[in-house]
Amino acid sequence: MDDLAIELEGVWKIFGDQPAQIVEDIRREGLSKAEVLEKFNAVVGIADVSFQVNAGEIFCIMGLSGSGKSTLVRHINRLIEPTAGKITLLGQQILDLSENQLREIRAKKVGMVFQHMALFPHRSVRDNVAYPLEIRNEPKLRRWDVSQRMLSMVGLDGFEDRFPTELSGGMQQRVGLARALASDPDVLLMDEPFSALDPLIRRQLQDQFLDLSAQLNKTTLFITHDLDEAIRLGTRIAIMNDGKIVQIGTPEEIVTNPADDYVRDFVKDISKLKLVSARTILVPMDDYIPSPGEDLSQSPRTNADTDLDGLVDLSITTSHPIVITDPEGNDIGVVSKDRLLQGIQGGQ
Amino acid sequence: MASDTRSTLELDLSASIGRFAQANSDYYAAQFSRIQTSAHRCWSFNKAAALFGPLWAGARGAWGFFWLFAVFELTALVQFGRGLWGDLGAEKMAEVYKLKQRASEMLAQAETARAAGDVTGATASQEIGENLGLAAQSMLLEAEQATAGATTFLIVGLGLFIAIRIAMGFLANTVYEKQFTRWRTDHTIQTGLKRSNSLFAALMVVIMYPLTLYRFTASKPDARLVEFPVGSEYYVKTAKVLESWFDRTAVAGQGVFDGITAAVQAFLDLLELILVDTPWPVVATFVVIVAWQAASVRVAIFVGAALAYLGFLGFWETSMITFALVGTAALICLVVGIPLGVWFSKSARAYAIARPILDLMQTLPPFVYLIPIIAFFGTGKVPGVLATIIVGMPPCIRLTALGLMQVDGHLKEAARAFGASNRQLLLGLELPLAMPSIMTGINQTILLCLAMVVIASLIGAKGLGQDVLVALQYVAKGQGLLAGLAILFCAMILDRIVQGRFKQRDDSG
Repeated sequence: MDDLAIELEGVWKIFGDQPAQIVEDIRREGLSKAEVLEKFNAVVGIADVSFQVNAGEIFCIMGLSGSGKSTLVRHINRLIEPTAGKITLLGQQILDLSENQLREIRAKKVGMVFQHMALFPHRSVRDNVAYPLEIRNEPKLRRWDVSQRMLSMVGLDGFEDRFPTELSGGMQQRVGLARALASDPDVLLMDEPFSALDPLIRRQLQDQFLDLSAQLNKTTLFITHDLDEAIRLGTRIAIMNDGKIVQIGTPEEIVTNPADDYVRDFVKDISKLKLVSARTILVPMDDYIPSPGEDLSQSPRTNADTDLDGLVDLSITTSHPIVITDPEGNDIGVVSKDRLLQGIQGGQ
Repeated sequence: MASDTRSTLELDLSASIGRFAQANSDYYAAQFSRIQTSAHRCWSFNKAAALFGPLWAGARGAWGFFWLFAVFELTALVQFGRGLWGDLGAEKMAEVYKLKQRASEMLAQAETARAAGDVTGATASQEIGENLGLAAQSMLLEAEQATAGATTFLIVGLGLFIAIRIAMGFLANTVYEKQFTRWRTDHTIQTGLKRSNSLFAALMVVIMYPLTLYRFTASKPDARLVEFPVGSEYYVKTAKVLESWFDRTAVAGQGVFDGITAAVQAFLDLLELILVDTPWPVVATFVVIVAWQAASVRVAIFVGAALAYLGFLGFWETSMITFALVGTAALICLVVGIPLGVWFSKSARAYAIARPILDLMQTLPPFVYLIPIIAFFGTGKVPGVLATIIVGMPPCIRLTALGLMQVDGHLKEAARAFGASNRQLLLGLELPLAMPSIMTGINQTILLCLAMVVIASLIGAKGLGQDVLVALQYVAKGQGLLAGLAILFCAMILDRIVQGRFKQRDDSG
């Protein structure tokens, strides 16, 4: 499963009159967002966004309010039509689909979870979860069967015949997740699903989601405004600002090597202990100048994937620097105490 | 030095007031600052406003202030004018003159009667003549008093005028400061003095004041001012044009009108067959059971009692006819109105076109609809039903559209994200969620239909309305009251059954 699940190429979204014309003008003259607002009275929602999501990965899009992340995720299942660009979902050109084909894809291949839950207040929890199957005209018994399994998977056994309003916020969002999973989709779109919840419940749901995700192996596009959440959940993270993607990378890449001041500002307060590995901070064997009388043969040895937390544990037991080895056991570099402290601070 | 002690906010405000007031900006900056710094009502007198009155308000664009005080001022000026020029005793003097003439005529009659030897006739005439003379005397006294009152009018009018101008002076800065506050957020509000507005205010004063003063002070004002100076020529011509248009349309569209009539007639006949011709115990039992099932036992008991009233007082058949008329009209309203409501909730443009039509349908007094209905469909039950449909339809359309538009956009988006088609979205989500609103619409439609069916008896729609109409024509108070109560009970039966259903739904949701 190494193929692409989602691919966006040069996607634009302009809100205003004659959007196609405006895109052309922006491309030609390189206008800024403010200039576009001034000149055309139009708002740039998404500006030339391209990225690829591998099958089975959790791809987080992180950005502040108004950065366009929620608009972007609605392009994947064409709830919003892009002004320009190409969107490929599971090998299909989403923009070329007819209305019926599009509904087919939405009902079978894509599940979506919303920030405001968007549970249907006039349906029981069971019928909420079964909604995607009802849309596909599945018989009632099968709908209820699937719904039962999904609810038990998210830990809501016994709540089937309640109405959504009788449930707490955290439980409601679990119903939302169960509903998104009911049609066994290949792709999950999650639009800030945990933002409206309190921190403790959010943490629980993140853990539950990670467990589920490991079991089910769904490709997930996860929108959040919380970098901690993105780092906890994401295989890779894309950071958005003003409708543009500023940086894409693994959590470690983002934290150790922010692309610009905007990202650096976010990363500043993130704890590096679990994120950064020895590989990033080691000094290669050739460049290492040992202090006088130092004997590296006394040093503890560990592999390059050990994170800073593990290095600290090792470092406490000895006064020697730590030697990093490759899988074959050859020494490849050294992490001194100074280097380790710098690494924890986030310096290079 | 003084300006150094002022905060930047104050400096900023005073600059902003300067841009707002333009002319005399220093004065207004100082006065507004007084108003804005005082915690209580602040007395600030604007001499320009007191001196120029409404003209000041007009020039500054304070139009509410302008109209209010122009009317006050004019009232004061009219009092003043009547005192100065008005011939206050004139009407009474004319009366005195008439009375005196009648008196002398009567006395002359008495003379001739006496000369002819008719003593009783002479005494009677003499008495009437003398009484008239006395009346003339007292009237003369009143006339003199009225003339003497002219001075009072003069003083009161002048005093009022001055008081109004002083009040304007005191209120002007407060009002103008409020205008400034509004201008801060809405820059379409006028700033400074505007030549065009000053001219307009002056023109208004020049037209309004002299004409009004003339009308109230002249003893015999020009007739063209008192009444609109046209005869009936426009009215007659327009009515004729409309009349012939109605006639031509009625002839041209006869096929269509006859078709509509036949369709409604068929449905009405069916309902009448069910309600009127079915034995009354069957109908009554059925209605009571429906009330019980749809609402509650209490409602069922009430409905039973109401039906008993209709039966015992002999309204059974007429009220069943009324129910058939209301049922036909209301059903057609719903069958046409709910889909229209759905359409309007989806298409903003269609609703924009329909809204003024709906407004018109709801604003016109209901019996106005009887006129086109008579022109195209004649009189009888079917035209009555058609007029009722026009009155009953708007709430059903509006509340359906409103209910659908109020469905949470997040929910609609979620349904679409799971692949719902438009039909699935409407039937599975939007209509159920809009149900409370739609049921309110249905309820209002039914009650409006009942009210209109009563009015439609004017064009021969029969039913309970006719009973009331007959009672009105013969001033039969007792009969009229009984028929009125019957209508009330019919309305309550319908309302309770429909609402009961709605309330149950509301509770379970």
